[in-house]
Parts: sequence; C-alpha cells; structure tokens
Amino acid sequence: MRWVWIALGAVFLAYPWVLAGPFYERMGALVLLAAISGSAWNLLGGYAGQASVGHAIFYGAGAYLPLLVFTQWGLPPIAGLPAGIAVSVLIALVIGIPTFRLLGHYFTMATVAVAELVRLVVSNWDLLGAAVGLSGPAVSRGWWDLSFRSSIPYYYIFLAVLAVVLLVTWQMERSRMGFYLRAIKAGDRAARSLGVPVRRYKLYALMLSAAFTSVAGSLYALMVGFVDPDSGLGILISIEMLIIAALGGAGTLFGPLLGAVILIPLQNATNSWFGGSGSGATYVIYGGIIMLIARYQPGGLMNAWHALQERRHRRAAAVEPRHAA
Amino acid sequence: MLLEARQVTKSFGAFTAVADVDLGVAAGEMIGLIGPNGAGKSTFFNCLTGDYAPSAGTIRFDDHDVTNAPPERHARLGIGRTYQVPATFEDMTVLENVMVGAFLRHPHRGEARDAALAVIELTEMTEQRHLRARTLGTPGRKRLEIARAMATQPRLLLLDEALAGLTPAEIQRAMDLVRKIHATGVTLVIVEHIMEVILTLAERIVVFNQGKVIAQGKPDDVVRNEQVIEAYLGRRKAHRR
Ligand SMILES: Nc1ncnc2c1ncn2[C@@H]1O[C@H](COP(=O)(O)OP(=O)(O)O)[C@@H](O)[C@H]1O
Ligand SMILES: [Mg+2]
Repeated sequence: MRWVWIALGAVFLAYPWVLAGPFYERMGALVLLAAISGSAWNLLGGYAGQASVGHAIFYGAGAYLPLLVFTQWGLPPIAGLPAGIAVSVLIALVIGIPTFRLLGHYFTMATVAVAELVRLVVSNWDLLGAAVGLSGPAVSRGWWDLSFRSSIPYYYIFLAVLAVVLLVTWQMERSRMGFYLRAIKAGDRAARSLGVPVRRYKLYALMLSAAFTSVAGSLYALMVGFVDPDSGLGILISIEMLIIAALGGAGTLFGPLLGAVILIPLQNATNSWFGGSGSGATYVIYGGIIMLIARYQPGGLMNAWHALQERRHRRAAAVEPRHAA
Repeated sequence: MLLEARQVTKSFGAFTAVADVDLGVAAGEMIGLIGPNGAGKSTFFNCLTGDYAPSAGTIRFDDHDVTNAPPERHARLGIGRTYQVPATFEDMTVLENVMVGAFLRHPHRGEARDAALAVIELTEMTEQRHLRARTLGTPGRKRLEIARAMATQPRLLLLDEALAGLTPAEIQRAMDLVRKIHATGVTLVIVEHIMEVILTLAERIVVFNQGKVIAQGKPDDVVRNEQVIEAYLGRRKAHRR
C-alpha cells in the first residue's frame, strides 16, 4: 500500500513536467478536480451504497459561496470555502435526516428532486446572479485571490486537496466507520443486529461526503472564476461524480481517481470532435459507460482487478499442498 | 428472568402470526423453540430481537423495556441473533464480517481484530478467515453468522434454524459449537422445526402452533404431549393424503 501511494504521488507530481503546455496542464487540473469530487461521492455512494444523484447541490454550494462573498463584500473568494462547507453539511442534514429513515431508493430519489429544486430556485435568485451566474475578480488583487493565469498552481492545489481526501478515506476505510459503512451496504438489517446505528453512520458519511464535494465546487470556482446554474448545479455534475466512481470502482480507495483519469480526457476528446461543450455527446458517453459497467463489471475497474488477483491467489493456494507433501 | 415476553402479539394486517405469547428465559438456560413451518416462530423471534415491533404485549430484557426498541439497542444490551436465511456480508471476508460485530465493544481496530480472531478460533473458522463470505457454503455462512453475533459479546443468543439444511455430520458439528457457546455462559434460545435434533440439545422446549404456545416443558414430557403429537403428526397425515 505504501508503494502505491509513493508511485501515484511521483506520477502526479511529475505530470506537468512530462506533458507541458496549457492544454495538458488544464486537463490535469480538471482530472484532479473530478477525482476529488468522485472520491467525495464515493464515501457515501461507494462505501455505504447510498447512491446520490444530487451531489451537485453540495458542489454548487461550494462553487457559489466563494463568488458570493466576493461580489457581496469584496472578500477573497477562498473565504467562502468554509461557508460552502457549512451550507453543504446543513443541506446534507436536511436531506439525510428524513430520508435515511426510509429505504435506500428514497434517498436517491430525494437527492434528484432536491437538486433540481435548488437549481430552479438559484436560477431565479438575483442575489446569486439568477440565470446569469456570478463572477470572481476580473484581475487578481493579490496572491490571496488565488487567481492565476496558468493552470499549474491550481494543479498542485488540487493535488494537495486530493491527497487529503484520499488519506481521510483510507483512514476511514480501516476504521470502525469503514467497516460499518460496508456492512450497511451489504445489508442494513444484519448490520443493525450487530449494533450498527445505521442511520447515524449514513448521516456521518453523507456529511463528510457533502463537505468534500463542497470543497471541490469551491476549487472549481477559484479556477474558473465563474459559476452559473448549469456549471454549478446541473444534473450532469451529479451524474459525472457517480460515473467516475462507478467506472473506477465504487467503494474502493483509488477507484474514483482511476475513473477520472479515464473519463475526463475522453470527455475532452469527444467535446472537441463534436464541437462546443457538446452536452448531447456527454449524455451519449455517460449512457454508454453506464451500460458497459452494468453489463460487464458492476464493481468497476478496481474491483475487476481485485477479482483477478484473488483468482490468481486461489490458484496459487491450490498448488501449495503439493509443495508441502 | 433475563428475558421476559408477556402477551406478545404480532399481526400482519388482518392475519395474526403470533397471539398472546408468554415466555420467560432465565440466565444460563438453553431453550428450544419448536413448531411446524408457519407456526410463527420466526415472527416471535423477530419481536424479541427488535426487528419487528409487536402489535401488543411487552418484552423486557435484563430490566430494560425493549418492546419497541430498535435492533441496534438490543445488540448493545446483549442480545445476539442469526437469521433463518443467512445474511452474511457477502463481499467481506470472514474476519471482516466478525470484526463488524466486534467493533460494538471494541471501537479501535486493533482490539476489534484481536477480539474477532478469538471468536473465529472459538467457532473453528480460523482457516477460512480470509475467504469472502460469498465463497462459503450454507454451513459456513450459518457458522459465520454465529461467530459474528458472538463477537458482540451477547448474554442471550437467539438462533433461527441454525441447523436447517445441514447434513447429519454438519449438524453434529453445529451442535458441538452450540454446546461450547452455552458452556461459556451464554443463554440460548434455539428455533428449530426439526424436533429430533433439538430434543437432545435443549433443557426446555417451547412448542408453537398457529401462532400460540401449545406446550412447554422438559423434552421428554413435550414429546408425549397429545397436542404436540397432533400438531406434528396431524400435519404429516394431511400431507400424505
Ligand atoms: N412479513 C410478513 N407479512 C405477512 N405475513 C407474514 C410475514 N412474516 C410471516 N408471515 C406469516 O406468518 C406466519 C408465521 O410465519 P413464521 O413466523 O415465519 O413461521 P415459522 O418461522 O414458524 O416457520 C406464516 O403464515 C407467514 O406466512
Ligand atoms: Mg422460521
């Protein structure tokens, strides 16, 4: 495990030097950003098996608040990051407390409904720029605005945040909470019979997931300096997180990172082939990936890899007795 | 009394699956709960574990009213259970399954792991500890359910048909395990519909039929009871026709 961390760290630290130029630097930053939000989604959707299709709410809260504190009070956008986390955790509680009483599907449906509702409200809310959206500082007033022309500073900021998210996930995975979440996913009735306070742990996971998703939204707003209802709260944002985690391997530590490394460049390529932001093509790709995952590998790529290794181990174990004899 | 159920009734809509059942379990007992299929054993059992809230009646455990308490409270108070259809965590290994139970009393990973390994030793699953639950057969999964429940350090362990679907050799092994657990001081309530097995195991038998307790007492007395013979043999005769 330690070698995986070191190898990944080395590859990602070196990337901007290996593939230089604005295009690749920006793509690298976007991959890391998607890996952050995918990993955040994974805490709840992957480990606890509570699929959310409304994480754009938290992403949007994270994206809007930095630009709001700038437009309202002229504060550096980063000052809005903790506020975004607070708002996201609050919304998480409002959604989670009533729906976690019910069966799993109700949570998923509630997230879709609330996310669309929030998008509609924000689209008509003048304080938040309504349909036009909010912008950050046009010219940087100082380093504290974290407004850079190059993508490289963002790349390294995102890399540091991703490292934190993955370390927290890793610690959680090994702790009581990780075991409890996996037990809840496998069967919450049996989990409860072993003393697992299922609702409380789902809420913990949702709050943590919402907080990290919000951070991803804030980082996006810092880099792009602009957010509107589509780029901050659109349903595609929620679906992208879900697909990135499912493609790489929901409920695995590095699954979302792997998913982001595959999906983001793929999206970039198709967008340039079909021109513009090409949201039609995006839907087609997402639909195709969902079908491929459902048909061939419901556990995603990381789990396919684990299954392969397990089979190899078992074959090795079957050989062993001959050595002993 | 460690566990005391009074006038417990459970209805599903208009259908009453359990009607006015009284049951007292003293600490250290090993009780067999028998009755033909559909008699209401599992339903009553699920009322005792908090999986179902009884429609009427009260249940007390160790001086706590647990009538409407959720299953996790039962676990914390010291009631462990298994399921008639094993509900093991399929993608987790044997050790991980048992650790979920052990975390109840041992919040830290290392201690939970040690406690789980001790239970795995007791239940003789050490060789399988790194296998995923889904790779085990029915006997293995039933054993794992017992191990997992034991890891919560229960004072009362409720087994729902832990022997059903096992071969005679596997039944012997499972019975040895049940005796071993009883010897550690755990009180046991065992649900079975195969009468023969339970008679040699339990000290006291409670017989269910059509949602009611129709007899209880020492195994020898219960088998001679007219109503019990009727409930079992009457069924068999009806089947033959
Ligand atoms: N959730 C339920 N809803 C409706 N009927 C049920 C339910 N659970 C059990 N029953 C009915 O209650 C009766 C007793 O079932 P059960 O307690 O499983 O019997 P046993 O465990 O003794 O075989 C059966 O007739 C069964 O069909
Ligand atoms: Mg039953």
